[in-house]
Amino acid sequence: MTRCADRPSASQISITHVTQGSCVASASPNEVYATILGSCICTCMCDPVAGVGGMNHFLLPSSEVEDAQHLRYGSHAMELLINALLKLGAARQRIEAKIFGGAMMTPQLGAIGQANAAFARRYLRDEGILCTAQSLGGNRARRIRFWPKTGRVQQMFLGSEDVVPTEQPQLRLQGGAGDVTFFDRHSNAEMPDPIKEPR
Amino acid sequence: MSKTILAVDDSPSVRQMVRLTLVGAGYTVVEAVDGQDALEKATAQRFDAILTDQNMPRLDGLGFIRKFRTLPEGKGVPIVFLSTESQDTLKAQAKEAGAIGWMIKPFDQAQLLAVVKKVAGA
Repeated sequence: MTRCADRPSASQISITHVTQGSCVASASPNEVYATILGSCICTCMCDPVAGVGGMNHFLLPSSEVEDAQHLRYGSHAMELLINALLKLGAARQRIEAKIFGGAMMTPQLGAIGQANAAFARRYLRDEGILCTAQSLGGNRARRIRFWPKTGRVQQMFLGSEDVVPTEQPQLRLQGGAGDVTFFDRHSNAEMPDPIKEPR
Repeated sequence: MSKTILAVDDSPSVRQMVRLTLVGAGYTVVEAVDGQDALEKATAQRFDAILTDQNMPRLDGLGFIRKFRTLPEGKGVPIVFLSTESQDTLKAQAKEAGAIGWMIKPFDQAQLLAVVKKVAGA
């Protein structure tokens, strides 16, 4: 059997597990991103012309689609991914997305998966990003593998015997989120959070 | 008369978030989709403050400020970056270009309102 010349061998492949709150991007043909989803959403974005792609993985804490938290943190998770792709040479108008997850795993989490899925769909629509594939909802966990260079995605539903990481809604933010730096004459008085002085 | 803020971001979701926050506090908000759009709007109308993203198509935030500050209309208008970026080198470039501040996304409504109130007035 012959193997495609430009496809990396198994020993060359690097698999990165993308946990909740993470965002990764690459242009390497050797990179594969993997994650396991219950109620969470993962967005796989790719610019097929530039050959770059990335994945985020988030779980918004509210079942209210209109909740301001969704706009704040969900948009942030998406923007981080888009910016990471742009830095690798993607063009915004060429970015395509595939979205997965949003299952109802336990009654305790209620309709959070559904709300997360609704947010992801609406975000892509509002931003004019083409959604080329989606697998959302249901009540089974998913294992996702994503090849960022090509945009290829492999999904496998997990059975009840598989161990799925417990998902608790949480918002992980990069250091400094919400911080303000004023450069010159504006003082730091009256601000609600610590303000950094100019360096 | 309410203060008028120009919100510059290529993301409709971010512009919506800024607009909802500021309009709810009594500000008038005009939106621009990138630095080039912002340059055209900021030269056609005087704003009390400008909030701009950095990474945008056509013209990024730094490019917008550098061009805007060379124009007569660009004198004295406070400009604050709203960005996911937090590198000191970018902040230094922003200061050099003529921005007065840098706010790291994501932020909550109170933080954004406090910044706008400080630079544009209530």
